[in-house]
Amino acid sequence: MSEELLMMLLADARLPVAGHTQSGQLEAAVRSGLTAEQVPVFMRSRLASVVRVEAGTAVVGLHRLRAGLPVEPVLDAWAARTPAAPMRDTSRTLGRALLRLVRRLFPDSPHVKAVAVLERPCRPLVLAAAAATGGLAPASLARLVAYDDLQTVASAALKLLPLDPLDATSWVHDLLPEAERLAAAVAPLTEPHQIPASSAPQLDLWAQAHAQTTRRLFSA
Amino acid sequence: MPETVTNDGTKNGRGLRIGVCGPVGTGKSSLIALLCRELSADLELGVVTNDIYTDEDARFLRSAGVLDPARIKAVETGACPHTAIRDDVTANLIAVEELEEEFAPLDVVLVESGGDNLTATFSPALVDTQIFLIDVAGGGDVARKGGPGIERADLLVVNKTDLAPYVGVDPAAMVSDAGSVREGRPVIALSRTDPASVEALIAWVRSELDRHRGGALVPADPGPMAPHFHADGTSHSHDHDHDHQHA
Repeated sequence: MSEELLMMLLADARLPVAGHTQSGQLEAAVRSGLTAEQVPVFMRSRLASVVRVEAGTAVVGLHRLRAGLPVEPVLDAWAARTPAAPMRDTSRTLGRALLRLVRRLFPDSPHVKAVAVLERPCRPLVLAAAAATGGLAPASLARLVAYDDLQTVASAALKLLPLDPLDATSWVHDLLPEAERLAAAVAPLTEPHQIPASSAPQLDLWAQAHAQTTRRLFSA
Repeated sequence: MPETVTNDGTKNGRGLRIGVCGPVGTGKSSLIALLCRELSADLELGVVTNDIYTDEDARFLRSAGVLDPARIKAVETGACPHTAIRDDVTANLIAVEELEEEFAPLDVVLVESGGDNLTATFSPALVDTQIFLIDVAGGGDVARKGGPGIERADLLVVNKTDLAPYVGVDPAAMVSDAGSVREGRPVIALSRTDPASVEALIAWVRSELDRHRGGALVPADPGPMAPHFHADGTSHSHDHDHDHQHA
């Protein structure tokens, strides 16, 4: 299978994995005053914190799946680095959504089976199973995690803020080098304890506040 | 199509999933509250709501006291109510499955779409059968205008017939208009204050549940597209099960 084509498939916003329900905490940030001009900074902060954790988790998961090592320690390491309960919940729900698809695409994959037996696997681990099955390189998988996050926030911004869609895509484009740096940094990781533990308390607070509100467009 | 857990090859192993859609304000939440009130004595129920901007519908249903609040789940659709019931049903399907797992065995799960427009209908991948709702207050010509839900939903409900005298609409004409575009599919003129109409609605739900349990209910797509006609005089919409090629 072509690695590039599989990447395109998995990065496509049209993938039926409930992506349209997510704003990456942008909705809560906008409610507390974040403006359109600040969205690129917001996206960059995510790359430096929560996305780094998710990308590191995916890469280490990929390594262990390929090596035939257990992935529970990766799930534990991810959970320990994701302090906000609503964020863990969101990643697990999105993991379930992605698992539905990945099971259909790769019904015989031992990697998918290894992740499916976990108790509520997080999204990066399910993505790692797809990557292990389809032969994606660690750096490609990390790019995928970073790119998906950028586009999630950008497309949510179009719903939440008065905005020219060309601006939103420009933000994603301008942050691609940052996504590439992130991918290069986490690609060599192989052990759960190496997964970055970079946190962003403000994102955690927004995630927790959002989970409590009764007026929201996005699930998270 | 939803996975059908079959033990003996004929019976359906999970509960019936019923979609309720239709324009804003036609009474979807009230209809669901009504169904819960009428059915919860002998059936195990769950409800998933898709309100566009708030969990208002879920709260309305919880406060109506017709169902254990834990059995009512709100799904946020990211301002895409149409997507969530049609092209990416994942979030709703997960909510339905979670209810089915948590309160197993459920007989019926009701899925309420976020109030959308006349073109929004459920994918058969999410629900087994669907009710499309319009109301007399929306105007007497709505049924005549048609659309996939009005023409081909499993059941069309013309709601709030008790308001007809106040809005200058003849509900009988509305039902007759609807009947003429529905090719024999059922139409119910409903009013909460008319026990016979409520009885007709409940009878329809129970009959769909029987068909589902017996394996006779095959989810059908009302489609976003109008049926189209072939030179040989046959017509179809794009939910049929035989293969054909377009010229």
